[in-house]
Amino acid sequence: MQALDREDEGTRSRGRGRPRGSETASGSVIEILNLVRTGQATTRQEIERVGEFGRAIVADRLALLTELGLVDESELGAATGGRAPRLVRFAADRGRVLVATLDQAALGVGIADLSGRLLMEHHEPADLTEPATTILDRVTSLFDWILSRQSGPGAAPWAISLSVPAPVAEAGGTFLTETPPILPGWEGAPFVEALVRRYGTPVWMRSSVETMTMGELHGGAGMGCTAMLFVKVGKRIGAGLVCDGRLWRGALGAAGLIGQLTIQAGERTGTLDALAGSEMIAREGQAAAEEGRSTLLADLHRRHGALGAAEVSQAAQMGDRVAMEILSQSGRLIGHVVATLANALNPEIIVLSGSVAQSNDILLAAVREAVYGASHPLVTRDLRIVRSQMSSSAGLLGAAMVAVEGLFAPPMLKDWILQGRPMAHPSFTALRERFEEPAPAQPAAPRNARA
Amino acid sequence: MSIAGLGPHGERASPPQRVALSPADIDAAREKGFRVAIVMHTLESDFARQQLQGLAGTMGDCGTAVIEVVDCGFSPEAQIAGLDRLLHEAPDAVISLPVANAAVAAAHAQLSAAGISLVLLDNVPTGLLPGKDYVALVSADNSGLGRIAAELLAPHLPNGAEIGILGYDADFFATNERELAFSRWMRRERPDITLRTSRFGSIRVAGETALSLWTAQPALSGIFVVWDTPAREALSALARQGWTGPVATIDLGRDVAASLARGGPVVAVAAQQPHYQGVIAAQTAILAMLGQLTPDWVALPGIPVTRANVAESFQTVWRRPAPPEVLTALLPSRREKK
Repeated sequence: MQALDREDEGTRSRGRGRPRGSETASGSVIEILNLVRTGQATTRQEIERVGEFGRAIVADRLALLTELGLVDESELGAATGGRAPRLVRFAADRGRVLVATLDQAALGVGIADLSGRLLMEHHEPADLTEPATTILDRVTSLFDWILSRQSGPGAAPWAISLSVPAPVAEAGGTFLTETPPILPGWEGAPFVEALVRRYGTPVWMRSSVETMTMGELHGGAGMGCTAMLFVKVGKRIGAGLVCDGRLWRGALGAAGLIGQLTIQAGERTGTLDALAGSEMIAREGQAAAEEGRSTLLADLHRRHGALGAAEVSQAAQMGDRVAMEILSQSGRLIGHVVATLANALNPEIIVLSGSVAQSNDILLAAVREAVYGASHPLVTRDLRIVRSQMSSSAGLLGAAMVAVEGLFAPPMLKDWILQGRPMAHPSFTALRERFEEPAPAQPAAPRNARA
Repeated sequence: MSIAGLGPHGERASPPQRVALSPADIDAAREKGFRVAIVMHTLESDFARQQLQGLAGTMGDCGTAVIEVVDCGFSPEAQIAGLDRLLHEAPDAVISLPVANAAVAAAHAQLSAAGISLVLLDNVPTGLLPGKDYVALVSADNSGLGRIAAELLAPHLPNGAEIGILGYDADFFATNERELAFSRWMRRERPDITLRTSRFGSIRVAGETALSLWTAQPALSGIFVVWDTPAREALSALARQGWTGPVATIDLGRDVAASLARGGPVVAVAAQQPHYQGVIAAQTAILAMLGQLTPDWVALPGIPVTRANVAESFQTVWRRPAPPEVLTALLPSRREKK
């Protein structure tokens, strides 16, 4: 990526050539940038008031941030008596974040600005049992395509963020320096290494439940909430927890793995995944079709050759009693587990997601019934239980927010802000140099890809 | 036929049967006497006119008045002005084909915020969500259309061929999906083929774009264009300069149908069903106005068309017999069949 390198050099020389006290005052620069970026302050007066800075400090730091291209003061706000104040805006168009969601049966890619706002997205069916090389090739091919559709000075990527269908054992902090274990069979597949080599940007990675929770929190039903519970119902069932307006990851990013809980359904005992997940829904639907208990399911079975959870869900929506009971049973089991979490967390909202939850209201109704029946009255007094409207876009938006929060987290920001671009972060520069020796022309094939 | 692609937010497709109207739904709609407005990208094309016929006919059957039809002429500004005007007229539903992405997002979102049921055709501006900002998207399976075009074009391409993809240089869900699905199929199934992509900003410049691509890549031995009107422009520009080769495109317009019937240069078409799409969009809007839950994305499968089935496919797509130039060009082979 020669263009990126050239742009890097230009920015670095601009940073180096600025002799002022700001280099020793990056704390206030960071704080002011984040006040503006998060919308807590939109004028110089607000920055002075909210950040408790003097006028001269604010003027100096904003001059620096403007020179670095990170804020813009060209617009006027509404006058409230005297002269109209100049608005201070974060330059979200300065760079882009490439995002991808890898799900068991689908792949999504998108591009966002530095506020996390999605500018473009695309989703397509995928099979994650394919070799890691194939998946990585498709991701880079789609990233190349989406970058080819961008134009303007801020079109270059500043970060990449991936959403994967498994917990990411990583304690947070700055960008990844190697690919963490993702899926069995993908051990050693160098996703991070290949992406850093090809695009020259830092990479973040989170589980799909975490990114979808972030997406709902920042652009969906959970906007403005401080306590939220997100539940994804698919082959696996997982929960995302939001406390004090932030995603709670736990010690190792493994919070909310409720699918592993052992539950009892009639005479059967098993995990929540096994007794209420989409595979169970498909299996029960298939059995009903084969045993002639549902003519609609039998008809769908004939047409499709096999039944998945989506077809059972479709039959339920069309009023098939057997399909409705299958979904209700799944909803009740999930609801009992979710009620336990709700009693522990006391959320304002519970958001159900996943194709089964989103395609009809039967599962939602069963979860509501179970949660309301098994929770303390105070827990359910103002509780809303809704289904997600965002589908897989939640994962893309959430992945973008993971990268944005990572880029602008003070410990990360302090090491690149005076250079104007995160690619100039010393640790990242060192990482690139390590990955690029010897520099291959194309992304390397994952080492342990399955045949 | 199964649906190949996913929706704009990764949704699984719902089949058109999901929005079938029962006699009770039709009676309820007649009782309510709904008012709807339709906002089209253009009214100049056969495709748009057929969609409109399907919409208006079905609405009429349900006692629903179409109070206005807006022709945006592919202009985001005209669409925003039209949507702003409709906001004040407060119809029960608006059926709209968004002509752009971010530029028209807010204008569409304000309709839902005002309690108007919004059904989208073919495109969803990024950031708008089903259930919140619109009721449902009704579109062809655009990914499937791209795949069909690739499958049908592939047998006409020699081993190691270099082919051109003429994409649309606007962020538009339908054309993005077609371009990506076409190239994906080629990369997987015909890795010997080299793909060269160029994009036109408007139909007017599609011919110039095709010529520039050919100048830059003189070995082009086939072309895919993401819909038929620019394909016609590209073909005539290329033909004037002496280029020949097989062409695949989307939509069975009259000119490409005639070209198919003559045996080329158009050899493959993946056809949408505009009339049927209009019917399904109208049914979706009726259900939404009745307060029933509608799927986020209703997708209609594409129809693979070659010379062998062009006459009957024309009838399916356009609900009328194939034009004389198609039938005449087919005459010898029809006689041979008998």
